[in-house]
Amino acid sequence: MSKELTIWLLIFAVGAITYAARLSFIAFFARREMPPLLAEALKHVPVAMLTAIVVPAVVFIPPGELRLDPANAKLIAALVAGAVAWWRQSAVLTIAVGMIVLWLLRYVVG
Amino acid sequence: MRTHFSRPAFFEGVRDIAPMMLGVIPFGIVCGVGAIAAGASPIAALAMSMVMFSGAAQIIAAQLLAAGAPFAVILLSCLVVSLRLMMYSAAMAPYLRPLDYRWRALLSFVLTDQAFAATLQRFRESGDVRANASYFLGSGALLWVVWQFATLAGILAGQVIPASWQLEFVVPLCFLAVLTPLLRDRVSLLVFAVAAIAVIVLDAMPLRLSMICGGLLGIMAGVIADKMMGVRE
Repeated sequence: MSKELTIWLLIFAVGAITYAARLSFIAFFARREMPPLLAEALKHVPVAMLTAIVVPAVVFIPPGELRLDPANAKLIAALVAGAVAWWRQSAVLTIAVGMIVLWLLRYVVG
Repeated sequence: MRTHFSRPAFFEGVRDIAPMMLGVIPFGIVCGVGAIAAGASPIAALAMSMVMFSGAAQIIAAQLLAAGAPFAVILLSCLVVSLRLMMYSAAMAPYLRPLDYRWRALLSFVLTDQAFAATLQRFRESGDVRANASYFLGSGALLWVVWQFATLAGILAGQVIPASWQLEFVVPLCFLAVLTPLLRDRVSLLVFAVAAIAVIVLDAMPLRLSMICGGLLGIMAGVIADKMMGVRE
């Protein structure tokens, strides 16, 4: 299967999933309460999934070498950007600072 | 459908959600950049935003696609990040019950984090279902349109800017901006620590399953910690 075809199948399959999740209680289970365990688990989805997405993108250097040392420019850039995000809850500022630190470490410092 | 529509309420919804576009536009740009970095064509990258219409699902799909994950793993991961939409659906359901199925189908499509946050208060305060529905539709419509233009900007940036700039790094940075402010209590820090360690330790798992497994272990740790703290209180 070509990559382009895979992507198009994915678009409609994931589109169906997101739409089904949106419709779920509004249309399918309109007369039901959400199960308490599901509600408790949902509270933790943002932190858990965001962590699982961010951490590998920062600590692994392609093709999959774990690098938790200061020579890893992405790790340093992410730590600085994380501190900025903690201090000012601004996506624009966080992204800008993170990219600038990454470029400085890569091209200026070496 | 027309019989339910209130033009003033629709534009009130548009106006009230407009300030939130400041947060939505960078995220939409990131989605465009991420899709291009994952190898999607510009048309497919835009279709992702039009059909999926969920930043979290789009980004995770793009990340996993770039990492060469199999189709089923990408679907499963998108399903987990979409669970949060079920929470909004459950919160909105009682207010939308009086509407006919066409309205409910339409409003469900534009149910997002931002539209939910902007309209729930109004649904709680006002019993005018017809005006509320139009208000919700107005917020959702503006968001959808702005999302497409922001994605388009990201697609153009992703094609013009050379790969050596490592523009794909804006994707984790964008998530970091959302994640960091959430780490304000002990249980959230525990969820973060468990998910972070798990995703590193499990990296060798086949089929790029480490992301979804790390996330699920974090969620489980959070549920267990909540239970234990509840017992102590």
